[in-house]
Amino acid sequence: MIGIGRREVLTGLTGGILAMAAHAETPSRGGTLTVGLSNDSKTYDPIFSVQYSERYVLYLAFDTLVKYGPDFSIRPELAESWETSPDGKRIVFTLREGVSFQDGTPFDAAAVKWNIDQRLDEKVNSPQRQVLAPIVASVDVVDSRHVAFNLVTPSPVLFSLLGERTGFMVSPTAWQQRGPVFGTQPVGTGAFILKEWTRGMRVVLERNPNYWQKALPYLDRIIVQDLAGSVIGVQRLLTGEIDYVDQLTPTDVLPIETRPGIVLKPITVGRWYFLQWHVNQPPFDNARLRQAFAHAIDRDRLNEITMRGQGTISDGPTPPGLWWYDPMLKSYPHDPARAKALLAEAGHPDGLEFVLSTPQVSVFQQISQLLQEQLGAVGIRLTLQPVAASEWYARVVSGATNLTPTRWTQRADPDGLLYILFHSTGFANTMKYKNEQVDALLAQARTIYDVARRRQLYAEAQRQIVADLPMAPLLFGAEYAALRASVNGFAWVPDQIPRFRDVWKSG
Amino acid sequence: MTRPGRWIGAGLVAAIAIVAIAAPLLAPQDPYASGTDMLALPSTAHRLGTDDLGRDVLSRVIYGAQASLAIGFGAALVAMLIGVPVGLVAGTLRGVIDVALAAVIDLFIALPGLVLALIITVMVAPSLRNLILVLGFVMWPPIARLVRGQALAIREMLFVEAARATGGTPLWIIRHHVWPGVLPVVAAQFATSVSFAIFTSASLSFLGLGIPPPAADWGGMVRSGYDYLAINPWMSLAPGAAVSLTVMGFYVIGRSFR
Amino acid sequence: MLRLIVRRVLLMLATAIAISALLFFTVTQLLGSPAEMMLGQDASPQAVAALNAAYGFDRPAASQYLHWLGGALSGDLGRSYTTQQSVAAAIAERIPVTLELTLWSIALAVIAAVVCNTIPVARGVLQPAVTVANLVGITVPNFMLGVSLIFVLSVKLNLLPSTGWVPWSDGIGVHLQHMIMPVLTLSAYYFGAFSIVYRAEYANVVQRPFIRVAQAKGLSDWRVAFRHAAPNAVLPVITFVGVSIGQLTGGAVVTETIFSMPGTGRLFVAAIEARDFPVMLAMGMLIVVGVVVMNLLADIGYAIANPQIRHGS
Repeated sequence: MIGIGRREVLTGLTGGILAMAAHAETPSRGGTLTVGLSNDSKTYDPIFSVQYSERYVLYLAFDTLVKYGPDFSIRPELAESWETSPDGKRIVFTLREGVSFQDGTPFDAAAVKWNIDQRLDEKVNSPQRQVLAPIVASVDVVDSRHVAFNLVTPSPVLFSLLGERTGFMVSPTAWQQRGPVFGTQPVGTGAFILKEWTRGMRVVLERNPNYWQKALPYLDRIIVQDLAGSVIGVQRLLTGEIDYVDQLTPTDVLPIETRPGIVLKPITVGRWYFLQWHVNQPPFDNARLRQAFAHAIDRDRLNEITMRGQGTISDGPTPPGLWWYDPMLKSYPHDPARAKALLAEAGHPDGLEFVLSTPQVSVFQQISQLLQEQLGAVGIRLTLQPVAASEWYARVVSGATNLTPTRWTQRADPDGLLYILFHSTGFANTMKYKNEQVDALLAQARTIYDVARRRQLYAEAQRQIVADLPMAPLLFGAEYAALRASVNGFAWVPDQIPRFRDVWKSG
Repeated sequence: MTRPGRWIGAGLVAAIAIVAIAAPLLAPQDPYASGTDMLALPSTAHRLGTDDLGRDVLSRVIYGAQASLAIGFGAALVAMLIGVPVGLVAGTLRGVIDVALAAVIDLFIALPGLVLALIITVMVAPSLRNLILVLGFVMWPPIARLVRGQALAIREMLFVEAARATGGTPLWIIRHHVWPGVLPVVAAQFATSVSFAIFTSASLSFLGLGIPPPAADWGGMVRSGYDYLAINPWMSLAPGAAVSLTVMGFYVIGRSFR
Repeated sequence: MLRLIVRRVLLMLATAIAISALLFFTVTQLLGSPAEMMLGQDASPQAVAALNAAYGFDRPAASQYLHWLGGALSGDLGRSYTTQQSVAAAIAERIPVTLELTLWSIALAVIAAVVCNTIPVARGVLQPAVTVANLVGITVPNFMLGVSLIFVLSVKLNLLPSTGWVPWSDGIGVHLQHMIMPVLTLSAYYFGAFSIVYRAEYANVVQRPFIRVAQAKGLSDWRVAFRHAAPNAVLPVITFVGVSIGQLTGGAVVTETIFSMPGTGRLFVAAIEARDFPVMLAMGMLIVVGVVVMNLLADIGYAIANPQIRHGS
């Protein structure tokens, strides 16, 4: 693991040099970047964050212990380097020197320990606890610059966690002083300081003049402007009211594809879309019925219509381009005749009826209507039930929703998605899927540092999952960020959350 | 807005009714069949272009007339079934019942229709049947108030006084004296109610609380087309124009009888 | 007069309390257990019981209602289920947007209705055009109007920002630019509705002797129309504004949604979608109280202006 870590750091460096060569211009300081976002944030306290959109602001106001490269590799951030003990159960991080929080509190080993302890503390009740507690037993302060994580088992997963919510370092003094209002007045070590948050309108962040990377950030101010939907952002981008908007589908960007002054940045790894159901309950406990669904769905047509053919059809949870992708894995091909036969074998020769919950997001509405058409053709009649986007996931979690299309962004470690979705104890396993063999494979794979071995275990687990069909895989989406041409230095990380620390404006 | 208005209104309504009834004959294509030519601009194949799933917009607008008229007439009928009896009873009887009913009517009139419909619809889950019931429920108070006013006026007339003096039961009085006098008002109010129901249900659909997709529903079509105004504006503007003309037709008829 | 006002105020209070009770009981009964909503169906019975106790959901409905009413009267409207933000603060943050939108819209609608139906030319040759404009205002749903305005003025001509809202502090010019289309959208219906009321009254006024006298004195048509007839015909419009407030809130909900403005209308829709009961209830009450108060003011204003009512009752 130590070796791998170092090699990844090296690739990171060369990548950085190449990126600099591409931008021969030198970055200029100053300016305001206005970001359009459909923002449903509830808190900017990383310890309690659960909403997707919260991370847009969290990555500005906070830094993580480690960060992701453009290929999901783990890179140094607040931790400069780390060493893993021979048994893989103790990791000592060396922290960057001279870093302090925005309120002046020094960032040191004690602060790191406090941050992780908060997440582990049952009384604090952080949503990250259920993921972190099985991995981290305790955290020790070695000296002010060195902090040791004592692990329950060896865990490659820890690094990916420390690059997202669990890794955001919160100022302990500010958190204790501000109490419940910390969520609206957060204090981190980040490149930008949150100045104003008017819900439903905007978040204003100003440059942190004491940022530990002396030249950064380039921008003076970032305004995250609330949008009722991404498409609305396209129009506002054209009028110059905003500089950046993302989560745009290939259809959304049609009017700006050839516009001068607008640059499109396609995401590198697409969100995974699938159709899920309660696999432990009738009628979906019948394997033939699930296969009938899978055979009835025409993934190519879904891709052609909803993604204008720019997505990738999904045969399993992992898209091409990630190291745990298995090119040999194939799901059930489109075959309506076979679907009808399976439906009859499953005891439903006359077909059957379902309610399909569909979140009120254009792409889900489109997918749902196409699914209704395709499944209807083999006798599976769907009634669509639109659910407010804000309410939909809560209903999926509570079990009130059975049949529904879902999507997830990829995580830096295969465990990040596969374990929470498909392990019988995974907290996002709303399909109620339980296969002991899959459980064992996933449990084993998360305790091994050897990538080749892990790849093998995950391939086996994914094969079994796709054969069992606790869901029907659909596709990996195509998405764009659209920027005004004056915005430079933007690059995607595969988790699809934009980072603006290195962004600068020209002219 | 009397004579010519009535004829224009009647013409509009008749045209829309014909479109609704003859939809299968008039629509050039299956309004629910997706296609791979998405958001195309109008052409000979698709007179109003296609929507985000490649469906023919013209065919969907034509079929949309069915849902619209069903909701309009259905809701107006429900509103009449509640409002007319309440108004008649309140207006014909004296005393406590009238006072109580009048208070209830005033209470409901104070509540804005769209807001009330919004709250109820989200709780009962939108469907064609539920929308008809909810809108009918929202629209009954003005009808009841109107009928009560008319009934009060008629009750004071001499021949009704006479009937009461000779021992006519309230029901008998309502049937033979009050009802015939109220009927024209009710008829005019019916047309106005249809226009209000179509207007309100389209607004609900626009807010995402209409008949669920893939139904060809005008308000919902305006809503989903709103995202693609810069690509194929007809996806939004055509159903929007259809709602406007339908509401206008019924409204003009209702007003011409005032 | 005083007796009339006292009676009206009492009636208003009774109505507001009756509606609040109605709203409270319908919403609580129809929504099911708030605890289940907040914790999910798989929540343990203990967790549900604890939450019920914490929020007071385990008490009888009547006691819950009185508790809520007591809080509401002292300005405490509870906390939002979804954001945990104080409901009063959330509303206070957003109400300036809605108020500004509605006030501009009413002002524009009243002025346009009076001007278009007073100018002699508009009452003569241009009469059909004004009639059609009124009809369009009343019957074209405001979402259609808003979408059409965006299409023409933003997408095609690139004249105005399509959606959004910026505070005054960002510049008066930008602020007003963002208000133009929403105000046009919301005022159209009221332009039509006010026109009907105004025109009917105007027709009565011009029959009155003092107008004949003014005309006989040889005053110009414009002077007669604006100095003598219009002021006497405008009163019913003003009272009508009062009773339209309820409908106006509905229109504001749609308008704020089209133009994605951070007002109370969108807050309300979001609360309804998320079944955020404290916000729904507070917004519902705010609308009801607004409607009732405006009705009262309209009544009183009418009584003061119209001696017949004042003495008659």
